[in-house]
Amino acid sequence: MRAVVPPNAVPPTAVQPDAVQPDAVPPITSPPITTSAPNARSRPITTTKTLAAAKTIVDDTLLPAAAAATAVIADRTHVLVVTDLTKRFGETVAVDHISLSVPAGTMFGIVGPHGAGKTTTLSMVTGLLRPDGGSVLVHGVEVWANPAVAQRNIGALPDRLRLFDRLTGRQMLYYAGTLRGLDAPTVNQRSTELAMALGLEDALGRLVCDYSTGMAKKIALACAMIHSPRLLVLDEPFESVDPVSAANITAILQGYVGAGGTVVLSSHSLEVIQRICDVVAIMVSGSVLASGTIAEVRGTGSLEERFLDLVAGHPQAKGLEWLSSFSD
Amino acid sequence: MVKQLFGLKLRLLANGYRRSPLQVFGIIVGLLYALGAAGVTVAGLTALRRVGPDLAGSITVTVGSIIVLGFLLVPLAFGTEGPLHPRAFSLFGLSANHLAAALAITSLISLPALAITAIAIAQVVIWARDPLSTILAILSAVLIVATCLLGAGIARVIASVLLATRRACEVATLLLIAVLVLLAPAVALFSSVDWNRAALGSVKSVADVAGWTPFGAAWSAPADAASGNGWGAVLKLLIAVVAVALLWLVWCALVRRSLIAPERRESASHDGGLGWFGVLPNTPAGTIAARSVTYWIRDPRYRTPLLAVPVAPLLIVIVLAAAGVPGTVLALIPVPVMCLFLAWLTHNDVANDSSALWLHLASNTPGWADRLGRIAPALVIGVPLIAIGSPIAAAISGVDGALLLLIGVSSGLLCAGLGVSSVLSARFPYPAVLPGDSPFAQPLAGANAAGLIQSLSFLAPIALSLPALGCAVLGLLHPGGSWPMVSLLVGVGMGLPLLALGVIWGGRIFMRRSPELLALSMRS
Repeated sequence: MRAVVPPNAVPPTAVQPDAVQPDAVPPITSPPITTSAPNARSRPITTTKTLAAAKTIVDDTLLPAAAAATAVIADRTHVLVVTDLTKRFGETVAVDHISLSVPAGTMFGIVGPHGAGKTTTLSMVTGLLRPDGGSVLVHGVEVWANPAVAQRNIGALPDRLRLFDRLTGRQMLYYAGTLRGLDAPTVNQRSTELAMALGLEDALGRLVCDYSTGMAKKIALACAMIHSPRLLVLDEPFESVDPVSAANITAILQGYVGAGGTVVLSSHSLEVIQRICDVVAIMVSGSVLASGTIAEVRGTGSLEERFLDLVAGHPQAKGLEWLSSFSD
Repeated sequence: MVKQLFGLKLRLLANGYRRSPLQVFGIIVGLLYALGAAGVTVAGLTALRRVGPDLAGSITVTVGSIIVLGFLLVPLAFGTEGPLHPRAFSLFGLSANHLAAALAITSLISLPALAITAIAIAQVVIWARDPLSTILAILSAVLIVATCLLGAGIARVIASVLLATRRACEVATLLLIAVLVLLAPAVALFSSVDWNRAALGSVKSVADVAGWTPFGAAWSAPADAASGNGWGAVLKLLIAVVAVALLWLVWCALVRRSLIAPERRESASHDGGLGWFGVLPNTPAGTIAARSVTYWIRDPRYRTPLLAVPVAPLLIVIVLAAAGVPGTVLALIPVPVMCLFLAWLTHNDVANDSSALWLHLASNTPGWADRLGRIAPALVIGVPLIAIGSPIAAAISGVDGALLLLIGVSSGLLCAGLGVSSVLSARFPYPAVLPGDSPFAQPLAGANAAGLIQSLSFLAPIALSLPALGCAVLGLLHPGGSWPMVSLLVGVGMGLPLLALGVIWGGRIFMRRSPELLALSMRS
């Protein structure tokens, strides 16, 4: 692994496939969503659809999942249960009465254009952002009523939040592990193993602020996993990570899910979600518009077509004619 | 090119003043202080016009050498890579020699350059006694300004290379902290020297040596000419010319190197281990303390304010000494004042984390552990400061019971200050400079409440320590009584509970408000 992923050889982000191909679509389609009036008016309809969709998750998603054998659907088989979660920022409703249930042992993907409320939702789930209403149950414990117990079961990777980046990689892992109550030998052993698995072993002595964005993401992921939580909540885990590391992280996550762990991850890349997730929720303007297994959500067409359908069609790019009249 | 660089430099200077009222006030105070210092030096030097050439020469050479040394050392100590670092021009395809000349000329526009020019002209006034001395003094003035500006430029570039690595920065900070702890007794000692007798003899012997070094040669040449030693004067002028020429060559070489050499990076050959994390206990409080200590050493946003800790009592002692306060009392001032400032440094600690605070939330860190860990560095420095500084200061002061009342007041101020800071940094954080930015940069968000919180966190510990302070003053007024002992008991007896109260209360607030604290830090 050392030979394959030298930490210094991270390629520039522009050549990463997930940053180029499916990603190019949402930025063009997203402005009409947030600005156009018809969409804003159609909000009440989508809300009811959301609630219906949330119910279908509870009822349906267990059937194809690994745990489908059990006839009794006890609440504890759902590692994460979100009910009526709401967050407003002033006039804007960022998250609009969302309900989700994530069965244990699944890879659950939340996909949506920029500004859909993915980060806001995940921040409320991990206990970083106080919701205006609704509840978050993790392994049967309400996160905002009993954070001490609930957060022990969560490993969080927030998006765009800083790390204590004046620490070296090793110190950073030690800090995260000790705050989670691990003893020194355990932390040191797990740090070394996580660094090996993520290809960071040569970077442990360097300051995190000198890391590339992708490496910083990987050390943050290691911090999220160091206390072996039941539930990993990862916000954009593959953003600005090079393809080799992304495959590497995917393998680690799939191993974790195979062993009974649960992953909730967000992405604006359909390709990633489609490839690695068992269950998917499509989120637009603070509401969940569709959810279920990939096959259920996709229906007859491709996931991308369904996604673009839900995001109010895909208007042709207008203007920009000057872009093809090249200047000399 | 010189014209453009001049414009750029003037614009940079002007933009430096577009800041919040509090900062502008601070800058104006600093400006007045700098102008005052330069003015006093100029006035003092011109007053030497009536003094005999030997004595006047000794004084100018000594003072002048110290000034030149200052121009070389101060940039080394700070090592800031300013906007006009030669490297900034590497993409413009300029000729290295032209750039070196242009940057050297542009460096004339700065406060230190103005000050040294004024001082160099004052030096001409002293030696305008006969034609030869006058001509030499004018030449010397040019050489002095050139030496100082080139020297400062070289020191800045070297510092930006040397301090680029983490380890070098840490060594520099540890030295700073050692100086800080040692400076308390030094300031006390300084305040008790009898300046009238001891000084003059030593100045003469210093000047005799310094006059032959590049630091003092230019200052010494006109003095020698005035006292009739023509050959000596010419020889010293030659030394100064050679020094400037060498500095010029070094400057050109550095500019040329900066244009092509990449920024120096840390070589990551070794793991570096756990550092402070391996030393402090493996608990949330211990590991947060280790992180805080590491940050105080590594992060310029903590390191630079540390400088205020020794400088503040120095200024107070100088002002009081000028006002005629006796040395026995002056010696008692540095240690408590340093403790007060040390505690004050922690009053906005949460804001310095910026959004990295999420890790404490996600781990559900106990509030008291967060509070205790954050004030640990101030305790790590403060306790030795009191333990070492108090006995020395008491010995210098010689007042009966000085040791007891020093320990009482100092620990009272330190503990009360840390308690107050623990509560305020959880309840009223205000926007701070972002991680990685210069400690002198302006926080992005407005800092309206900042002034109020800064004053409150400074005055509240003094108010809470008034009982110990009062007992100490009574002890000074009525020597031989038991007041110093009472001061010690009151200071420690009130300080420790206040510290514990602050940590627990602050911890509760932190637990209750941590999502709001994180939201606030993300806004700035």
